[in-house]
Amino acid sequence: MKKVLKLKGFIAGALLCGLISCQSGSGSKGESSGGGSMFPRSKTLYLAGSQWGDPSTFNPLAEAWQSSWPVRDQFNLMYEPLLVYNSIDGKVEPCLGTLVSKDADSIVVDINPAAKWSDGKQVTSTDVKFIFEIGRRFKSASTAFAAEFVSGINVQTVDNAGVKTERCSFLVDKKGRNNPLVVLDLLQSIRIVPSHIFEKMLADNNNDLGAVLKFKMDSLPVVSGPYTLQTYSNEKIIIKRRADYWGNAALHGGKLPVPEFIIHPIFKSNDHFAIALQKGELDASQTFIPRIWLKKKDGVATWHESAPYFVSGVLPLLLINTTKPPLNDKNFRRAMAAAINYDDIKELAVSGYSPFKQPGLIMNSGVEGKFFNADDAKEFGVTYSLENAKKILADGGYKSVYKADGTLDYMTDKKGTKLPTLSVKSPAGWSDWEAMVTLAVKGLRDAGIDAREGFVDASLYWPALPSGDFDLIMHKPASSVTPSLPWSRFEAVMSSRNWVPVGGDNKMNENQGRYNSPKSKEYNSKVDSLLKAIPTIQDSAAMTAAYRELNKIFMQDQPALPLCYLPEQFYEFSTAHWKNWPTEANPYAPPLLPWIGASTKILWQLQLAK
Amino acid sequence: MLKKYPTLRYILQRGGWYFITFIIAVTINFFLPRLGNNNPVDIIMGKASSGLSTEAAREKEESYLVEFGLVKKVKGEIVRDELGRPVKSSSFEQFVNYIKMCFMGDFGTSFQKYPKKVLDVILDAVPWTIALQLPTIIFGWIIGNVLGVLAAYRRGIFDRVFFPSAMLLSSIPFFVFGMLLVYCFAVVWGVFPAMGGYAGDLVPSFSWAFFSSAGYHYILPFFSIFLCLAGGQAIGMRSMGIYELGTDYIKYAQWLGLKGNRILGYIFRNAMLPQLTGLALSLGTMISGALITEMIFSYPGLGMAMLTAIQNNDYPVIQGGTLIITVSVLIANFTVDILIGFLDPRVKAGLQMGKGN
Amino acid sequence: MKLLKNLLKSPMFVFGISLLLLTIILAVFGSSIFTVTMDRVGQQYAAPHGKYFLGLDDLGRDYVSLMIRGLQSSLYVGLLAGVIATVIGTFVGIYGGFKGGWVDDLLNMFTNIFIVIPSFVILILISSSFSEGRSLTLIGIIIGLTTWSWTARAVRAQSSAIKTKDHIILAKLNGANTVKIILVHILPYLASYVFMVFILQVASGILSEASISMIGLGPLDTVSLGTILNQAKNTGALGDGVWWAFIPATVVITVIVFALYLINTSMEGVFNPRLRK
Repeated sequence: MKKVLKLKGFIAGALLCGLISCQSGSGSKGESSGGGSMFPRSKTLYLAGSQWGDPSTFNPLAEAWQSSWPVRDQFNLMYEPLLVYNSIDGKVEPCLGTLVSKDADSIVVDINPAAKWSDGKQVTSTDVKFIFEIGRRFKSASTAFAAEFVSGINVQTVDNAGVKTERCSFLVDKKGRNNPLVVLDLLQSIRIVPSHIFEKMLADNNNDLGAVLKFKMDSLPVVSGPYTLQTYSNEKIIIKRRADYWGNAALHGGKLPVPEFIIHPIFKSNDHFAIALQKGELDASQTFIPRIWLKKKDGVATWHESAPYFVSGVLPLLLINTTKPPLNDKNFRRAMAAAINYDDIKELAVSGYSPFKQPGLIMNSGVEGKFFNADDAKEFGVTYSLENAKKILADGGYKSVYKADGTLDYMTDKKGTKLPTLSVKSPAGWSDWEAMVTLAVKGLRDAGIDAREGFVDASLYWPALPSGDFDLIMHKPASSVTPSLPWSRFEAVMSSRNWVPVGGDNKMNENQGRYNSPKSKEYNSKVDSLLKAIPTIQDSAAMTAAYRELNKIFMQDQPALPLCYLPEQFYEFSTAHWKNWPTEANPYAPPLLPWIGASTKILWQLQLAK
Repeated sequence: MLKKYPTLRYILQRGGWYFITFIIAVTINFFLPRLGNNNPVDIIMGKASSGLSTEAAREKEESYLVEFGLVKKVKGEIVRDELGRPVKSSSFEQFVNYIKMCFMGDFGTSFQKYPKKVLDVILDAVPWTIALQLPTIIFGWIIGNVLGVLAAYRRGIFDRVFFPSAMLLSSIPFFVFGMLLVYCFAVVWGVFPAMGGYAGDLVPSFSWAFFSSAGYHYILPFFSIFLCLAGGQAIGMRSMGIYELGTDYIKYAQWLGLKGNRILGYIFRNAMLPQLTGLALSLGTMISGALITEMIFSYPGLGMAMLTAIQNNDYPVIQGGTLIITVSVLIANFTVDILIGFLDPRVKAGLQMGKGN
Repeated sequence: MKLLKNLLKSPMFVFGISLLLLTIILAVFGSSIFTVTMDRVGQQYAAPHGKYFLGLDDLGRDYVSLMIRGLQSSLYVGLLAGVIATVIGTFVGIYGGFKGGWVDDLLNMFTNIFIVIPSFVILILISSSFSEGRSLTLIGIIIGLTTWSWTARAVRAQSSAIKTKDHIILAKLNGANTVKIILVHILPYLASYVFMVFILQVASGILSEASISMIGLGPLDTVSLGTILNQAKNTGALGDGVWWAFIPATVVITVIVFALYLINTSMEGVFNPRLRK
C-alpha cells in the first residue's frame, strides 16, 4: 500500500512539474500562451464589462437583453448608427450619416455615399427605412417604438460636391409624441441593418419575424462596421478587424484601427475585472471597481487623475411611491431628502466617484450643466441636515416613538395613527447599490423615520418597478448619456402621460412612483405641459427657463430622492500594453470604452505602450 | 421466475424505486419554479420596458408570452380574456406539453438566452463542471482514504500530526481557501492564473497548447477543492479503519503473521464500502456542488448556468439542469447500490438466502 | 455519569468543548464585553487600530461588532438547521431501518428525492415567494430541510442493525406498537450516536450558511459570518490586501467547525473503545 501511495504521489508531482514547466516558456504573467498564439498580445485589445451571460444570439434585430456584445445596445463595432453623440462637448458626430439640420419638425441626415456593407453593397436609405419603419410591419420588433416618434422619412438625392448623396428627412410625428429630442436620440442609438439580407430572410420565413429572430447570425454576418465576429464561446467573444471597412478611408483618413483583434472575456465575479486590470490581462473595463486609486501603481488609470476619477452621467435615485401615506405628503419626502448623508454615500458607497450632489434632477456638470441654476438649488432644494429633517417632520406633526433601549420603534402622523415601516427595495448583490441603500436607511432612521432595507432578489425587483409594488425603490432613470438629457430624466421620473394607479395588472414604464396623478385635486398640469413642450423648444433661453421651472417643481415636490452622481460607464483602463487613451488632459473622445458612441475613434488612436 | 435470480430481482427492484424517484423529482422540479408569482416575462419586461408606451409594452409582453409558450391556445389561436389580453396557460398544461416535447428530444428553448436551446446550454456547461469536479473528487477520495487507512494502521506520531491537521483542513470553508490561494499565488506571487478555464487568447481545440493551458489554469481550482475534500475523507476513513482494526478477523490475521500491506488491503476493502456511498453521493451532486468554485475562478459550468437561470426564472433551463442533476445522482446511487450488492458479501449472502433488501 | 467522566479524560474533548464554549460565550455576552454598534466609526477599510482591533469594513463599521453579530447569526442558523435536520433524519432513518421492507424502500425514495433537488434551487424558489425576502430563520429551515438525507442513511444503517437485538424482539413479542418501540427502546440506545450526528449537522449547517451567503443567497436582513465573507469578496477586499475583511471571519468559522469535529471525534473514541488510545 505504501509503495502504491509513493508511486501515485510521484506521478502526480511529475505531472504537476511538467505542466508548470510548459508555461515557463510563455511571455507575460499567466495569461497568454506564448508566441505561437493566434492572437498576439501586441495586436489584441482586451475589453470587458459588457457581456455577463453566455452569448446566445448576434442577430441585430433581437432585443437588447437577448443579444450579445457587440451587437446590442449602442455598440458600433459591427453594426453602426447614422450619428454618434459626444457627451463631453455635446456635439453630434457623423457615422453612417452626417447631420445636416434639425428643428422642431424634422431632422435631416445625409447618408455617407462611401458607406458600404461587407458584401460590397452600398448602405442606402432602404436600409435606413427598413429599421426605422419596421414597427409599422411588426408591432413587437425591437425598434418598433421608433414609429411612434418618426412619422415618415423623406428621401431626396442631392449633389454634394459632385457626389450623389441620399438625404433623409426624418419627420417628427407632430400629431403623436411630437418629440424631436427623442428622434435625435434614435438617430444615434438605432443601428442600421442590411435590409437586403433581412428582407430575404423574412420572405423565406413566411414573413414571420419570430422565425427570423431564431437565427443567430453568428457566422460571416453582413456588417458595415470596422470589426466582424471571429469566434465566441461561453468564456469570451473575439472580433476581428475588417480591412475593407468603408470608414477607414472616409472617416479616419485611411488609417486602420490599431488592434487587429478585440477580445471580450466573460467573467463571473466582480473582483476578476480588478485583478485582470492590475495584472495587465485586461486593457479596459466598465465595471465598478472600488478604491481604484490603489491600483494606479499597476498602471490602472481613469479619466481624472484624482477624485472623482470619473465623469458624471447618470443619477441613481430612490423612487417614492407617492400614493401611499405618509409618502403622499411632499413635506415628508423633503424631510427624507434632508435626512440622507450624501457625503457618506459618496465616500463609502461609491469610493468617492461622485462629485458633490446638488439638489434637483439636473447635474451641475457636463453638457446639462448649463441648465443648472445654483440660486434655485439653494432656495428650493434640500441638502443634508438632520436638524432640518427633524424640524420638517415636527412641523408636519410626525412623531417618532422610541423603544426602551433608544432604538427607533415606529412613527405616528399628526392624527396619531401608527405609520407602517417603509421598505426600501433594491436588488441584492449589487454592492454599490446595497451600500447606498444601507446608508440611506441609516440616515432616515437617525432622523426618526421608520425605514428598513428591503433587499430582494432581482426576480422580485424588476417586476416591482413597473407595477408600483414598493414604498421606495432604487432606480437609475436615463441610464445612457444621450442628446435628450436632462429631459429624459425628468420624463422618466415625473411624467403623468400614461398614469395608472397601483394595483391589478397596472404597469407604468416611467414615473413608476405614480407622482402627480391627473385624477387628483393637486394635479399640477405644468409638469406635463413642460415635459411636452421642452423637446420642441428651439430657443436656448426659453429652454433654460423651462428646465429651471421643471427643476424647481421637482425640488419642491421631491417625488424621488437622488443619491449621488455616477458615470454613464466606469471608464477605467490599463496602460500596461496600450497607451494614448483619452483622459481629462487629452479629451479627444468621451470617457467610454472604445466600442460605443463617439469613443469608437479611440481604436484608431491607441499606441503600443512598449 | 424472478425468485430464481435473486440478483436480477434485486437490480430490478432497486431500479424500480429509482425510476419512481425520477418521475417524482422531475415533476417537483417542473412545478417548483412556477409556484412563485414571478413570471419570467414580468422580469424581462421590468428590465426592458422603461420608456415604452403602454401599447408597445403590451405588444412586447404578448409576443414574449407566445414565444415562450406560456399562453393558452385553442386550435392554434390565442385565447383572450374580456380585456383582450392573452390568457396564460396553466402549469399543468405546460407540464403536459413539456413531457411531450421531452419525448421528442426537444428540451425547450431558454427564455433568457433566447434562442439558445436548453440542450446547448447544458452541453456547453457540463464539460466544465465535470472537468472541474471529477478529477478532484476522485483524487481526493483515493488519496484521502489511503491516508486515512495509513493513519489508522500506523497511529503513533504520523497519526497525531496528521489527524488534527486533516480535521483542521476540512473545517476551513473551501471557498475561502480558494480565495486565499488566488490571492497568494495569483495576485501576489503571480505564479498561477487567477481565473478562467484557459488562457485569454486561446480557443478550445485539440492542441497541446490548449490542453496545457487548461491544465495550468486548473491547478489552483483543483487544490482549493482537493485538499479540503481529502481531509474530510481521511477522517472518515480513519475512523472506519480503526474500527476494522479492532475486529476479530484482523486480529487473527495479525496473529497469523500476515504482512502489513495485506492487512491494510483487507481493511481498505471493508472500510471502503460506506465511503463508496459517500463517493457516489459526491459524484452525483458534483454538478451542483461546484457553484462557488465556478464563481471564484470564472469557470462557465452548470452551477453558474443554473444560478442565473433561477434568478431569472428561466423555466426551461431550470428544468433541464435539474433533470441532469436528478439523472446523475440517481444513476450514481443506483450504481453504488448494485456495486455494494456485488462487493459486500453480506448483502450477496442475504440475496442468496432470499432476504432481498 | 461514567460517560461524562470518560469524555473529560480525553484531551481532544476538553479542547473542543472549551473552544465551543468560548465562541458561545462570545456570542451571548459579546455585546456586554465589547461595544457593539452598526454605526460608521471611521474610514472605509481602516486597518486595525486602537479599540477597533479588527479594523473597519467598507462602510466604516467596526468589525468586532460585525463579527459578534455574525457569530450570533451563524450559530443560530447552524443550531436551527442542525436540530431540524437531525430530527427529520433520525426519525426517517429509525423508522425505515426498523420496519424494513417496502416502508424502508419508500422512505429511501423520499430521502433520495431530497438529495436530488439542489438546495440552492429550493432556497431561491422558496425565498422569492416571501416578499420579505430571505431571513436567517428561513435559511436555517431550508438548510435543515435539505441536509437531513445523510443523517437518515447513517441512522437507518444503525437502526436496521439494532432491530435484530434481543430486547427489541422481546418488546415486539410483547405486542408493543412501533412508535413505543422506537421511542422507548431504540432511541435511547442510539442516543449517543444521534447526538454525534447532531453535532456534525450543526457544523455542516454553519458551513452551508457560509457557502450560501457566498453565492449571494444569504440573509438579507442581518449580518452573518457568511455575509461578511461575501461582502469582502464583492468589494474587492482580496485584491487590495484588506486581510481583516475575511481572515477573522474565516478563522471564527474554522474554529467553531473544528471544535465541533473535535467533540464528535472524541465522543466517537469514548463510545467505541477501540478508537481510543
